[in-house]
Amino acid sequence: MSNEVKAIFEPKSVVLVGASDRVREGIVSPAFFHSLVHNMHRFFKGKIHVVDLSGKLEGAIKNLNRVPRGRDLAVVVLPPKLVMKNWRNLLNLVIKAIVLVAGGFDQQQREKLARGVAKRKVCILGPNATAGVINTSNGLCATLERGFMPSRGGIAVISQDSAVGMAILDWARFYGVGVGKFASTGDSVDVTEADLLEFLMHDKETKVICIYLQTVRDGRRFLGLIREAVRKKPVVVMKGGTAQDERDKIFAASLKQVGAIRVGIVEELLGVADALAKQPPMPGDRVAVVTNVDGAATLVADALSRKGFALAKLSDKVTKKITKKYQDINIVEWVDLGIGAKDDRYKFVLEQVLSDHGVDGVVVINELKLSFLEPEDVQAIAEVAEKSKDKPIVSVTVAGGAGVLVREAVKGKNVPVYDSPEKAVRALDALRSYWKTRTKVEKGV
Amino acid sequence: MGLAAGNRKVAEILNSTRKEGRRELMELESKRVLAAWGVPVNRTELARDISEAVKVAREVRYPIVLKIASPDIIHKSEAKGVKVGLSSELELRQSFGDLIDNARAYKPDAKILGVTIQEYLPPAREVIVGALQDPSFGATVMFGLGGVWVEVLEDISFRLAPLSAEDAREMIQEIKGYSVLAGIRGTPPADVGALVDIIQKVGQLAHEFSEIAEMDLNPIFTFDDGKGAVVADARIILVESG
Repeated sequence: MSNEVKAIFEPKSVVLVGASDRVREGIVSPAFFHSLVHNMHRFFKGKIHVVDLSGKLEGAIKNLNRVPRGRDLAVVVLPPKLVMKNWRNLLNLVIKAIVLVAGGFDQQQREKLARGVAKRKVCILGPNATAGVINTSNGLCATLERGFMPSRGGIAVISQDSAVGMAILDWARFYGVGVGKFASTGDSVDVTEADLLEFLMHDKETKVICIYLQTVRDGRRFLGLIREAVRKKPVVVMKGGTAQDERDKIFAASLKQVGAIRVGIVEELLGVADALAKQPPMPGDRVAVVTNVDGAATLVADALSRKGFALAKLSDKVTKKITKKYQDINIVEWVDLGIGAKDDRYKFVLEQVLSDHGVDGVVVINELKLSFLEPEDVQAIAEVAEKSKDKPIVSVTVAGGAGVLVREAVKGKNVPVYDSPEKAVRALDALRSYWKTRTKVEKGV
Repeated sequence: MGLAAGNRKVAEILNSTRKEGRRELMELESKRVLAAWGVPVNRTELARDISEAVKVAREVRYPIVLKIASPDIIHKSEAKGVKVGLSSELELRQSFGDLIDNARAYKPDAKILGVTIQEYLPPAREVIVGALQDPSFGATVMFGLGGVWVEVLEDISFRLAPLSAEDAREMIQEIKGYSVLAGIRGTPPADVGALVDIIQKVGQLAHEFSEIAEMDLNPIFTFDDGKGAVVADARIILVESG
């Protein structure tokens, strides 16, 4: 199926199908259809055909039969009845994939859909794939929120539920976390999360795969694919509806067994995925904390201890190198650069700390920036972080406002920035866990 | 017993249970399945009457454990059908009659095959290994310490079968009460390696025989490191026949 699944994300030509005659409520209303058309015209780099069965939309074709055949992908914003009525025409038109945005198909209709695609080599995403599909690298923006396009990045998001999927993207934008590909799977009469996972694990642009689930479908295959995927890239899983699920313990254990990283909430998902996309896995438990204020480092040290990390003890050699150049730098539990530390200090000290064999990863604190933030300070951190290939660096502020400023200053750079010690440490925890998974895989356990 | 022979033996016991219209294997049958699969169980023999019991007890050697053997009585303790640590023929003769009487009182129409005479195991750390078929993930293995650890604290861990030795070791180390096995306050560590082996075998068994709906090896006596672990009681339940 992978060739068809590929067309979901990488179509050369797309047909957008809707009907804007009657005023409808909900997902098939003209407003959403028009947003889809708007988004695709604005962002998509391939060929677009718009079909409005009511003929109202300017520039749209009224009749499906008048669209050239052999289109890669159709995104259909029609209610079940109209989908079924035009099903044969749709199948004639499209050679690879169909996204069905609306839900509410009954059993008989679903069976007819499944039969239709089984005969031809076409796949269906949905129905009820309300949040649609996004690919930031080719501008595919088949989604219904007007003008919504995440920034580019290495994270792929698969969401069973559309609203949660959109919320993940919304927070991604809020935190400046880049997304490469997104798809909502909805009711999955055909393409499941597992199929998308299979495609994304081989996708070169995808660095991390995030999956939001409410129901586990085809559990054995799904877990088997995760086991395969983590050999290449990390997989982060979040599941909703656990309060009602007595078997969640089994699901949790099996995720652990196959090497997935499980998260509980959307912010955690993004924080963890951001670190995994931007920084190397963490090969141990010893963390060096480099800071410009003492108090924040105290809280970071507490958070580290709660997750089973140890504060790294720097070697004499590295300690001497640092204090020789900057006599006022204080190194006890952590490296205190002093409140006025500028880019040169951050850069030099971080490089020294990373070279220490007793250090597995670094948390860097850049605090008290509301009144004076010099973007160069933060960029120096990003510069070192982007060069580090075997030990991760994460940046943190304890203050929220400062966090926003720091984040803005390194937007698009490969250093994850967090606005609380817990979030930063959770990210390191995920990097450490992925390192363990990789080691197990390499040992062939 | 070789692998193929073990496989045949297991299939044979499961089939004969099914043929008798039962879903629950008796303890004796469950232990035979486990033994055929290479899981260590304490010696357990059927005695249909008192003279057989006396003879078997001599072979097994005192002290012994005596349990009622009936396909209709699953909860043997509830039926007052268990005596532990009988040390002489005199005690055996007395207890044999009691057990049969208790069983009849508990369930008058129960089919009673006799009793099982079992090797008595010295006190050890008790653990539980279970298996079930999860509707979406298939054969799943469960591990926990015995008694309140499982019942009250729900301190249990799961893994999907089949599992690697490392998976099995992780699931043992994952429980909160792990220090009980690792050794606290001068107690030597328990034979975790023997448990790893049992967990892997139970996983393999559940994975290969999907007609096994549930397995409960409870308790497993776990001796000090190097001295092994032995299943003292076991229950196997088959899936409802389609």
